Amino acid sequence: MNALAGIIGAWPAVAAAVVAGLLPREAHPRHRFGFAAVAFFLVMSVIWLWPEPVVAGEVSEEWPYLLDLLIGLPLGGAVAALFLPRQLMGVMRGFTYLVFGLTFLASLFLLAVPMTPGWHFEHITPWIESAGIRWHVAVDGISLWLVVLTTFTTPIAAFASFGSIKTRVKELCIAFLLLEAAMIGAFVALDMFLFYVFWELMLPPMFILIGVWGGADKIKAAIKFFVFTMTGSVLMLGAIVYMVLTHHDLTGVWSFDFVDLAQVILPGILPLPGQSAAWSAQVACFWAFSLAFFIKVPMFPVHTWLPDAHVQAPTGGSVVLAAVMLKLGTYAYMRFSMTFFPGMAASYAPTLAGVAIMGGILYGALCAWKQGDVKRLVAYSSVAHLGFVMLGLFGATQGGMEGAILQMVNHGIATGALFMLVGVIYDRRHTRELSEFGGLAKVMPVYATLFVIVTMASIGVPGTNGFVGEFMIIAGTYFSDHLNVFSGLQAAGAAFGVILAAVYMLSAVQKMFFGPLTNPKNKRLTDISPREALALSPLVIFIFVIGLFPNLLLDPMRPAVSTFYKQFNRGFEQMKTSQREGAAQLMPATVFDPSFLAGAPRREAEVEQERQAAADADAAGVETP
Amino acid sequence: MMQAFFDSAFAPLLPLIVVATGGLGLMLTEVFAQRREGGPSSDLALGGFVVLMAGAVAALALWLVGPETLAGAEVAAPYLIVDKFTLFFQLVLCLGGALSSLMAGGYLPEHHLDRGEFYPLLIFSTVGAMVLASAGDLLSLFIGLETMSLGVYAMVGFRRGSLRSTEGAVKYFLLGSFAAALLLYGGALIYGATGKTDLEGIGAAVRAAAAAASSGAPEASNPFNWAMLLIAMVLVLAGLAFKVSAVPFHMWTPDAYEGAPTPTTTFMAVAVKSAAFAMMLRVLLQAFGDPASMSWGSGWPPIVALMAVLTMTVANLIAGQQESVKRMLAYSSIAHAGYVLVAVVALMKEESEAQAAIMYYLLAYTVSTAGAFGALILCGSRGKEAVSYEDLAGIGKRHPAAALAFSLFLLSLAGVPPTAGFFGKLYLIKAGISAGLYVLSVVLLLNSVIAAYYYLRVMVSMYMREPAPGAPIAVPMRSGYVAAALVIAAVLVVFLGVWPTQSLELAIDAALARH
Repeated sequence: MNALAGIIGAWPAVAAAVVAGLLPREAHPRHRFGFAAVAFFLVMSVIWLWPEPVVAGEVSEEWPYLLDLLIGLPLGGAVAALFLPRQLMGVMRGFTYLVFGLTFLASLFLLAVPMTPGWHFEHITPWIESAGIRWHVAVDGISLWLVVLTTFTTPIAAFASFGSIKTRVKELCIAFLLLEAAMIGAFVALDMFLFYVFWELMLPPMFILIGVWGGADKIKAAIKFFVFTMTGSVLMLGAIVYMVLTHHDLTGVWSFDFVDLAQVILPGILPLPGQSAAWSAQVACFWAFSLAFFIKVPMFPVHTWLPDAHVQAPTGGSVVLAAVMLKLGTYAYMRFSMTFFPGMAASYAPTLAGVAIMGGILYGALCAWKQGDVKRLVAYSSVAHLGFVMLGLFGATQGGMEGAILQMVNHGIATGALFMLVGVIYDRRHTRELSEFGGLAKVMPVYATLFVIVTMASIGVPGTNGFVGEFMIIAGTYFSDHLNVFSGLQAAGAAFGVILAAVYMLSAVQKMFFGPLTNPKNKRLTDISPREALALSPLVIFIFVIGLFPNLLLDPMRPAVSTFYKQFNRGFEQMKTSQREGAAQLMPATVFDPSFLAGAPRREAEVEQERQAAADADAAGVETP
Repeated sequence: MMQAFFDSAFAPLLPLIVVATGGLGLMLTEVFAQRREGGPSSDLALGGFVVLMAGAVAALALWLVGPETLAGAEVAAPYLIVDKFTLFFQLVLCLGGALSSLMAGGYLPEHHLDRGEFYPLLIFSTVGAMVLASAGDLLSLFIGLETMSLGVYAMVGFRRGSLRSTEGAVKYFLLGSFAAALLLYGGALIYGATGKTDLEGIGAAVRAAAAAASSGAPEASNPFNWAMLLIAMVLVLAGLAFKVSAVPFHMWTPDAYEGAPTPTTTFMAVAVKSAAFAMMLRVLLQAFGDPASMSWGSGWPPIVALMAVLTMTVANLIAGQQESVKRMLAYSSIAHAGYVLVAVVALMKEESEAQAAIMYYLLAYTVSTAGAFGALILCGSRGKEAVSYEDLAGIGKRHPAAALAFSLFLLSLAGVPPTAGFFGKLYLIKAGISAGLYVLSVVLLLNSVIAAYYYLRVMVSMYMREPAPGAPIAVPMRSGYVAAALVIAAVLVVFLGVWPTQSLELAIDAALARH
């Protein structure tokens, strides 16, 4: 047994040695080391992902400061990078890699704990006590994967950026570090104030990324991105404040905490069929929250900032934007809108699902089909793919939501890889027009192969990760109770979207890589460099890992999603019965899963304990002199 | 000894005395100092800073002693009221004045304006502002207002050779006098209606008259002249609106702000505005704080609400069109006054909460705005001033520290967390929503998006544009004074944003303690 454990423990090193040995003789030692490191990390993360038999009665230790560390490392790194000399670009880059590597390693420890329902790695500290604002961070099976996706893709995006960006490296490093800290923070924050802080903190670094290193029309795109996102989020801020005040009116306690606010039923009548939908606080707050998230996703018709932002952003910025930042919209809709307003989310679901299919999946796909610019095409394909994710959330079946979360990760990997591939050809030709290319497979065979693989994942061909997620979402849509009579039609529409995805992706691939090599400028293109292959390899490998073993991701998220699913439906039923009076009230505790509320009493006790300790310390301090 | 001092009649006036004597001392220093090298600024800027910070420390000391325990507090009342409300404002005003003084220490020598009278003017204006914050009577209020304004008129016209500066000073002087006259006329009418000049007495008289009217006494036996009081209220409101530069009384602001030397602009945007809001709070709450005057149907809230919406929207829309950064900041300061007016409307339902929100906001606004103007000063030098957006192009590369500081202050003004400005805005919205002003709150929120657009344009110029070849560019100046002011402001912006607890509690205490 010990020998076996030893072998498994040695696997990463073995894999690293094998990869380093297999590289061609002329490979640069730096690339040899890089590939070996990637192999090491990948094998290690797969081992950590692999489900281990849980020994009964064994309680795994959770280090409560792990999430603080995950946010603090890049945040502290960004502050430290401010003081590094800008001439030493190599040091800046090395420092950034070091911080990202440590953060990724630390995030792997999240996987070491069996994901039972409820919060893990929860850490609560009072922050601004007079307003009831706390530092409250935790993960569950839903946010776990998004945190790991962040720590996994941000370093890759930074690595890809350092390849093509040679100016103002210091600002680039700081922007990436700050961005990662804010994104992780937004995924794990369970205090609405804290969440809002991280949500807004994401904007300045991304604004800088697009605006400084972007394309010709970068400034317009950067401002559009900032203003669109901020419009949604200020309205959300208003809704948060309204909910906090209502919670205070009902309980007499100031609290911005997610768990506390989830127990508030705002005044309002559900817009169910047969009822006159009236404007009410609940409707207004639901839309204020959801609009903020829909803009971020982005859903039709507030998606117009995305193509501009993507096209103008540098490759690294596009990768982070597509892989992680858009997921914040979908994640936050699930976490906040669906928990705060289960009634509204369920009653609007058929309409919203219709918008997601018609405006997102189908219209996005048609737009993508007609684009002449490859990057714009990929950007519109993002609109379509995130339409699928939102559809899974609107349908709100257990399978559909699992598929949606899986699809968030999948889209991060596949679209991130696509943007990097587009960046590769752009670095060589400084154009992305499809009409400029053709027959590239002859001069760039490895590049073409990688592009086709990633395209397959994006379309959702069986064996790649995209298939699993889309299949689960379509099945979930078909079986959904919330989509009423339309569920069958909507499932068919979504399935048609998959066909359209094949149409636009494959036609782009055909135009780029096959056919005659007519353009003379393309005749001397060099194939993908080791550095670029290095950046892409983890993404390509994970396309297959998830495609073949989706349960690696689905198993840990299942308990959390199942809890969420039951809670959502109980909340919906409760809203239906208790909305007649139209006054603000508290949700009965029976609606919530005990594990969801588990934080609350302990939290009060902790605060009390700390106060007591502080009082004791004061008393002791008075006595001693 | 200490106890004897705190029992004396002077104790409550300690901040005023410290600042006023310090100002006199500086004036004498300016006259008699034997200068080996450097202009008067080399001594006086630091002196002004020290004097004003001493005033702030004195205010803080009185706060810690507890103004309600001071035996002498009654002597000056009702002309000067010393309570925690006053002390909070005096603290903010001294801080704003001190930062302006430091900036002047860098700006005046650089732009060959180095004449010593600037600092005494600044300090005496601050004294006027401090009197204004503590005035409980229309007479002392007017004296404070004029003391403050006269100094500022002179400071606006300080660049004597410049047409713009003179134009700004004349505009400000004419309109300011007109506003003062309106205020004075309103005060006279109030005296005619109520027979009182102290705010508390006016409030009591209005309340008594309202009670008599509602008890159903016949019109003849109730000689109170409501029409006169109403006209007076409108006149006083107009005078107050001039001073906080609310739309439609804002016309002087951009010209005066743009023409004035930038440290003066800072002082006007920061101290004059805060003092005007202190005056507004006292007048509205004490003289017109009765339920009828505070109601939506028969009092000032609808007027203020209309002004708030107009001020925010008009100022933000115009600010987005400006080509001069200084002018943009002027319009942005008008917009910020509009945000505060939302909380002024909220006073009618949530009196102490809205007051605390206003006071905290003014503190956050003071440090952010002072910082933004300071960064603008630092970005330019003589003949190569940072005026338009194009001048700032590429500053992010040429002077990264100044650009970073400027960005921080702009983000704070835009209300991006975790900065002081974000917290201030959060509390304004909280006050608005808890008073049930949903529409006003949403207008405020949407306006902050428009504002974000033009603040971002500055960052765009600094980081994302390169100066056109041959175009005039701003060359950053070197000044330890301005850099020190920026460091102080930046530390406060971050500190108030991340640990706002103490300062919030100060504001809440101050709001609750207002007499």
